[in-house]
Amino acid sequence: MRIAITGAGVVSAIGLDKAATAASLLEGRSGIGPLKHLQTVHSELPCGEVDLSDGEMKTRLGIPAATAVPRTSLLGIIAAKEALEQAGLCTHGAIPCPSEATVLINGTTVGGMDITERTYPTVDTKLHDCGGCTDIIAEYFSIFGQVTTISTACSSAANAIVFGSELIKAGRADVVLAGGSESLTRYHLNGFNSLMILDSERCRPFDAGRAGLNLGEGAGFVVLESEEHAKARGAEILGLVSGYGNACDAFHQTATSPEGEGAFRAMSEALAMAGLRPSDIDYVNAHGTGTPNNDATESAALRRVFGDAMPPVSSTKSFTGHTTSASGGIETVICLEAIRRGFLPGNIGWQNPDADCVQPLPEAVAGSPRHILCNSFGFGGNDSALVISAPDVKTADKEISSPEVKIVVRSAVYLEGADFEWKHLLNPMQARRLGTLMKRTLVASLEALDAASKDGERLIPDAVITATGLGCMENSEKFLAAMLESGETMMSPTDFMQSTHNTPGSLISIHLKDHGYNSTYSQGADSMASALLDAWLQLKSGKIRTALVGCHDELTPNTAGYPVPDGSLALVLEAVPCTNTPENENGLCEIAGIDGIGELDARNLYNAIERLAANGQADECCGPVKLKAL
Amino acid sequence: MANEQLILEVKEKIIKALNLADMTPADIDAEAPLFGEGLGLDSIDALEFILLLERDYGIKLKNPAEGKEIFKSVATMAEHIEKNRTK
Repeated sequence: MRIAITGAGVVSAIGLDKAATAASLLEGRSGIGPLKHLQTVHSELPCGEVDLSDGEMKTRLGIPAATAVPRTSLLGIIAAKEALEQAGLCTHGAIPCPSEATVLINGTTVGGMDITERTYPTVDTKLHDCGGCTDIIAEYFSIFGQVTTISTACSSAANAIVFGSELIKAGRADVVLAGGSESLTRYHLNGFNSLMILDSERCRPFDAGRAGLNLGEGAGFVVLESEEHAKARGAEILGLVSGYGNACDAFHQTATSPEGEGAFRAMSEALAMAGLRPSDIDYVNAHGTGTPNNDATESAALRRVFGDAMPPVSSTKSFTGHTTSASGGIETVICLEAIRRGFLPGNIGWQNPDADCVQPLPEAVAGSPRHILCNSFGFGGNDSALVISAPDVKTADKEISSPEVKIVVRSAVYLEGADFEWKHLLNPMQARRLGTLMKRTLVASLEALDAASKDGERLIPDAVITATGLGCMENSEKFLAAMLESGETMMSPTDFMQSTHNTPGSLISIHLKDHGYNSTYSQGADSMASALLDAWLQLKSGKIRTALVGCHDELTPNTAGYPVPDGSLALVLEAVPCTNTPENENGLCEIAGIDGIGELDARNLYNAIERLAANGQADECCGPVKLKAL
Repeated sequence: MANEQLILEVKEKIIKALNLADMTPADIDAEAPLFGEGLGLDSIDALEFILLLERDYGIKLKNPAEGKEIFKSVATMAEHIEKNRTK
């Protein structure tokens, strides 16, 4: 099955839609400059800000001025609307008619922090929450029956496109709107500043004199459906998602490995899935943030993939700034525009070659790209790559027939609160930087992996998939309080590093040195069902054999009403042949099915698994999950 | 060589900033490397040191690369503080 793109929408500092975006890229007009709308003391830091106030966006969208809406959602709605209109699916104002087969997958990490940083210590979790921001986008239209959010920092939107494609291939969705949205906030501007990776001039990706990145904001979405579905309803196909890869660098929370291992694996996987050789790639839209570290290691990874035959490369972050969670969506739309309009975007501001870096295309040139590789790498080493192809390319439509398997829960560990043993698994140097949630995540995960071991060696899973509604809220609030108290001057980079939702999930892979698939879902009470569904589909299709799926949350006094337990659940799942052998029966129960994305309480799920393991008779349902005795 | 008092103070601040809960100043050799070998600290710890210098001693580093020489050991850090402190 080929995945077709039938709609695309984008908003960023270089344009409020596709046409304006393409014009800026062709005319070499950067959107990076002084801040106008975000109120911060850091006027010295240029950003790629969308030139609309929240009020102006609400007016455009017909949203009452008095309604509190996170900027992330407003930007998301603008781009989603353009994409859905192009695909002939826009239904704003119509009678709600949601279908389970129409799914929204948004990538965001900032969520509604713009509101929280104005109201703290009051936290309206519905607006603060990443999943809440996605719900607001979904509610504006009236077609989505299932909604989820991926939060893998700067690769969030790319992973949304990956998961959307997987849902369609598995027959779980007919149409998916996938991408990402992210607004600028004082919070992450100060966070990146505390990491000292912001340039006070316009960024210059891959330049010898590069001195960091500029933050940007915006949103980018694509409408995905199978080629057959698109043709049957007469939709125009703009391009194809012909390959994707997701790997973990498993090196460090904020630095990339010198050889770019995660980036190399993600790109190689994407090419292999598309059935393409490196020489088939006509252009690479690089992650290219402009930091000394990223650009050198991404270049190292590109050289490992392409050798001496480097295709044209550029980073369009030199135009938009780094739009973090939205970047994979925005850059996918840019790749589609390049294919449709016949050009390769440039890398504005690049002047001085660096021996450690690839030499990018300094200016846009005419071309007719057929296959484009689009990179998105996130903190925690969450690296993803997409291959976007022209609609009429011939690609091998490989149908992999996988043998029937059943999904067994090998082990389950559930820990609550802050009072748990950790010294048997972690030494003080490993533990010193970890807040309660990070430590509990790691301990529950390691205990589950050890319990699932068959030979005494710790199991290294093929995939680590994590659910967390709010992430490390304790650290997020510490950073926020310090920012507000110190007037944006004295914040700890350690707190910021831990505030991205994917830190717990990537911590596991870094600790295990596990380069396999890694993703994080942040959709409130639906986070765990989303993570389990992702794992279950990959196990069923034979893509992976083992997965560590966890649900990890902590509640603070300011977020006490949030609808998840203050606990950590870690499950080790394995795909085994359906034949009943003693080896296949070794486990707690079977996950016979998952109806879809819905509420799933981690504590209830753990209790149901334990009940089945203990008396092994009746089957149980827990939220959308069907459990069966072995 | 910076004075003993300041060296002890820097060690205590490091233990607090990096949350080295089980360590005492006596466990840290003032001359031993802090990064790579020795304590085995990383780039995030270096950023915490930069914050510490600014907050407690009024010393501002513009570029994290400047920290490389300054944060070699407790002794080099104390020396830099003695020469450049504004508070």
